[in-house]
Amino acid sequence: MTALPASGIPALAANTRVPATLPSPAPDSAFQGAETVREAPVADWVTLADLREDPFPIYRRLRAEAPVHWVPAVNRYMVVSYDACHTVEQDADTFSANEEGSLMKRAMGHSMLRKDDPEHRADRDSYGSTLRPGTIKNHWMEIFERNHRRYLDQLKAKGPGADFVWDYAAPYAAENLRLICGFHNATQEDLQRWSQTMIDGTGNYADDPEVWAKAAASSAEVDAAIDEMLVYLKDRPDPSLLSGLASMPIPLEAIRANLKMTIGGGLNEPRDVLATTAWALLSCPEQLEAVRSEPKLWAAAFEESVRWVAPIGMYPRQTTRETVLGGVRLPAGAKLGVVLGSANRDPKVWEDPESFNVLRAKKPHLAFGGGQHFCAGAWVGRASVAQVALPGAFAELRNLRLEPAGSAIAAGWVFRGMTSMPVAWD
Amino acid sequence: MPTITYIQPDGTAEAMTVEDGTTLMRAAVTSGVDGIVGECGGQAMCATCHVYVRPEFAGRLPQIGDDEDEMLDCTTAERTDRSRLGCQISVDAGLDGIVVDVPADQV
Repeated sequence: MTALPASGIPALAANTRVPATLPSPAPDSAFQGAETVREAPVADWVTLADLREDPFPIYRRLRAEAPVHWVPAVNRYMVVSYDACHTVEQDADTFSANEEGSLMKRAMGHSMLRKDDPEHRADRDSYGSTLRPGTIKNHWMEIFERNHRRYLDQLKAKGPGADFVWDYAAPYAAENLRLICGFHNATQEDLQRWSQTMIDGTGNYADDPEVWAKAAASSAEVDAAIDEMLVYLKDRPDPSLLSGLASMPIPLEAIRANLKMTIGGGLNEPRDVLATTAWALLSCPEQLEAVRSEPKLWAAAFEESVRWVAPIGMYPRQTTRETVLGGVRLPAGAKLGVVLGSANRDPKVWEDPESFNVLRAKKPHLAFGGGQHFCAGAWVGRASVAQVALPGAFAELRNLRLEPAGSAIAAGWVFRGMTSMPVAWD
Repeated sequence: MPTITYIQPDGTAEAMTVEDGTTLMRAAVTSGVDGIVGECGGQAMCATCHVYVRPEFAGRLPQIGDDEDEMLDCTTAERTDRSRLGCQISVDAGLDGIVVDVPADQV
């Protein structure tokens, strides 16, 4: 069984600069009884450019040094070990999602993703059964099949040289999301534009006014589209989120913020896991053959893909009190980046963690997050990607291959996926 | 305080005493019982706290709700008439001594 090499694109990985000198760890100090506690090591060698290009060699070095680091370039403590990330997920009292000064709140409003229970719970419950397996089976699967057919036909019409991400995975994910949300007054292209511009706002640490202007324009468009659909869907109910919300006593402000979060969080993820999984399988012919001969393995390929490259690689938390995490002292109010992309490659949990291997022993990964913020769209992602798109595309595109070879590009670390993936078939 | 016993597929038993109202999932996750994950923290969203409840306790269990029922169709190990989600069963005096089998596969 051929396993993929450690880092996304070998050619790019070779260029990643990771200096050889290590920052000296801060002296240990006594704290909380017998446990040895130290100050966070300062990872001043980490740069945003390196993280964007290929974060995995950086995570490897960080994990080897300590479970938690202060990273000046990110202006956060980065939590990189599986155990420490898991601890954060299980303790919402100490590690709050309601981050001060959150750019996501500015770009999208205060959604459930940045609330703690019980406020979070009320918002989460307002999504009802739309994203649950029963509704997926009884309603959405047929729609996923139809959208898959439509966008695969468009890819085929474009012919070899078409881009698997932009000519198939992106419009497929966007059209599914449009209907799940209930935006009957918008197009999948609108969803893609809204999603990207608002996500750019949530990551606008450089405070670029043009980025804010585009995010604000999309936010206003989404508000107008929601207002219109809430009225329309009251008389014409369907299984969509907005239809359920139309008859629910929930503040408009929360509806708007939650829908914007969903537009941001529900598009890139299925798009990226679809393309990343296809890319990984096309790069490992023996693994692709194994999946083709045992269709049950599509589900395993999906789970291994999100473990290997989590589409959301990092999310923020803030401490509510002074605490110790992975032996590292954190002050009250500390801003954390919980790096799932690193936790999922922790060698303390997985054997040969840097390799993509659909046949590896199954263990719980953290790609969907955990605890109260466990991804609400997890089952939609599994159904639309692992049950419909992947088996469908590989069955129909005979001898699908990466062509020209070596031209596919993966990028990003907070969000990571294929940014270019030209393909050919017979 | 009630007692819960988890039986692993290899027959190993782990017994623990818990506060009234603790769920089968939370007790297992807190004590690090192998094979019970509880990814979603108890929202009946992830199907990773699947257990098989011994039949002698069946009559004392709460009804299976709609959310639990659809999620039990998503478990990795086979669903049987003993299948429940650990997060949906709070243990109090009425279930003192409950014994559950942990499935061989949870993810």
